[in-house]
Amino acid sequence: MARNVSGSGRLDAGLLTACIALAIFALVMPVALREQVAQTIRAGALAPLLVLEGRATAIRATIVSREDVLTARGDVAVETLSTRAINEENQALRKIMGLGSRLQSGFVAAELLPTRAMDEDFEVALNVGTAAGVEPFTPVVTADGLFGMIRTADRNTSFAITWAHPDFAVSAMSADEAAFGIVAPHLGTGIDRLMLEFRGVPFRTALDTGTVVVSSGLGSTYPRGIVIGTVISEIATAEKWARTYLLRPAALPSAGGPVLVLLPDRASRGVNDVWTSVASADSASRAIAAAGDSTARDAALAELAARRVALDSAAGTQPGSDTLARRPLSRTDSTRADSAKRSVRSDTTKPKPTGPPPVGPKPGPPPGPPPETHPVELLQHLPLDLR
Amino acid sequence: MRPQQRTSGVGSALRAIAGFGLLVVAHFSVRPLFGSRVMIDFILIATLFAAVRLRPGIAAVMGFLLGLSIDAMAPNSFGAGILALTLIAFGASWLKAVFFANHLALTGLFVFLGKWCFDAIFIVASRGALGVDLMLQLLLWTPLAAALTAVVAILLLTLFRPLYRAQPS
Repeated sequence: MARNVSGSGRLDAGLLTACIALAIFALVMPVALREQVAQTIRAGALAPLLVLEGRATAIRATIVSREDVLTARGDVAVETLSTRAINEENQALRKIMGLGSRLQSGFVAAELLPTRAMDEDFEVALNVGTAAGVEPFTPVVTADGLFGMIRTADRNTSFAITWAHPDFAVSAMSADEAAFGIVAPHLGTGIDRLMLEFRGVPFRTALDTGTVVVSSGLGSTYPRGIVIGTVISEIATAEKWARTYLLRPAALPSAGGPVLVLLPDRASRGVNDVWTSVASADSASRAIAAAGDSTARDAALAELAARRVALDSAAGTQPGSDTLARRPLSRTDSTRADSAKRSVRSDTTKPKPTGPPPVGPKPGPPPGPPPETHPVELLQHLPLDLR
Repeated sequence: MRPQQRTSGVGSALRAIAGFGLLVVAHFSVRPLFGSRVMIDFILIATLFAAVRLRPGIAAVMGFLLGLSIDAMAPNSFGAGILALTLIAFGASWLKAVFFANHLALTGLFVFLGKWCFDAIFIVASRGALGVDLMLQLLLWTPLAAALTAVVAILLLTLFRPLYRAQPS
């Protein structure tokens, strides 16, 4: 028993000695060999544990950096908002500079001062006054269009009413000078309060949606050609002899930013060429819309012509006699021998026959007074021509 | 030896191996979550808890292998961890009578002393600190880490008693 205990003790001592010797050898072994041994261990049995350690370290880094991430995210959001505000301000400044270059002279640039009035959307304070030449009843404009009018002017400040003010009114016309009237604020509620009305337009003059309305220059306050707004729709009113249109204003009072005050001498010289690009853009858009309408009209006429031919065939009538009757009103004085297709329109989209042209004189109606047109034909033509 | 006793011994050994493995895994997965200068030394707890079940020589070999795994992560101090854990494991196995008392406070004290000795041997062997830094490490940071490790060892003994309770032979 004692021998066993002594043997176990010697074994333990031997193992301890061996381990300590190896440990000391590990302490003093060359660096290269030390690195090689460590790398072998890391790539072997220790590899899965190192993966665990790496993930745990990543989790801790995530937890620790969460606050930094939130802080950085907030900073980025603030910077983004400030950048957007700066961009918007730059755009407004560029536009107002463009307007200034077009006006060339006779204006004063002004900033809107913060006001404490209840109706701050309808009356604004400007940081320019009589010292800069500003006088009452001078127009205030932006790059988008008419903004308002100076009501009172002190030496260094002035107060202007915007187009939304109940006292605002301006003589206006459509950009193509087809309709004249008075533009005044639309005294509705909610979002409708920020609209304008184009009143007193003659009933015979219908304006399309999107028509640009500019100042007409009638009166002494607003020169001709300042963009006021665009037509949204017609408003039903009690006045049956005139039309009233709802306008979307060109310059929003809540937009803020720099404005220009047109001095009296500049207003008297006129600003016809200043907002020309806007008017021309409107004309271009309406031309495009008209082209689209023309195509639709041609297609409808072609369909109508085909329907007529089918009806004629079914009724067994003489084509020649109906041709005379189907001639449109606008071409009743024609002496040409038109066929049923040609009687519709020359620019119809229906394909022309590809056969050989007829030889000899074309059959047609004899010259003389226009033939009578059936009332049904008139009704068929009337709405199509109106398109 | 009766079959029932043999089965009980095998189950105890399996539980001990499982507890040892969990502590080693915790050293590499839980320890990095607490990024502080005062850290829990799960490897030392595993060494101490396993050493009391082993012969001193075998415990020394176990300490050698565990130290090798630690030093593989710190090649600059390669060998210091091996030496420290070998001595600690051999000493714990040799002093296993302390654990037989199965007293939590004594176990905590033993873990505290084991951790302090391990750090002392490791720092001296690796020449990691000298002068004031050595004193600061051995008298401030190492006791704090040793206390924290002892507390965790007591908690483990309390919560996972079947895994880490040493049975007298």
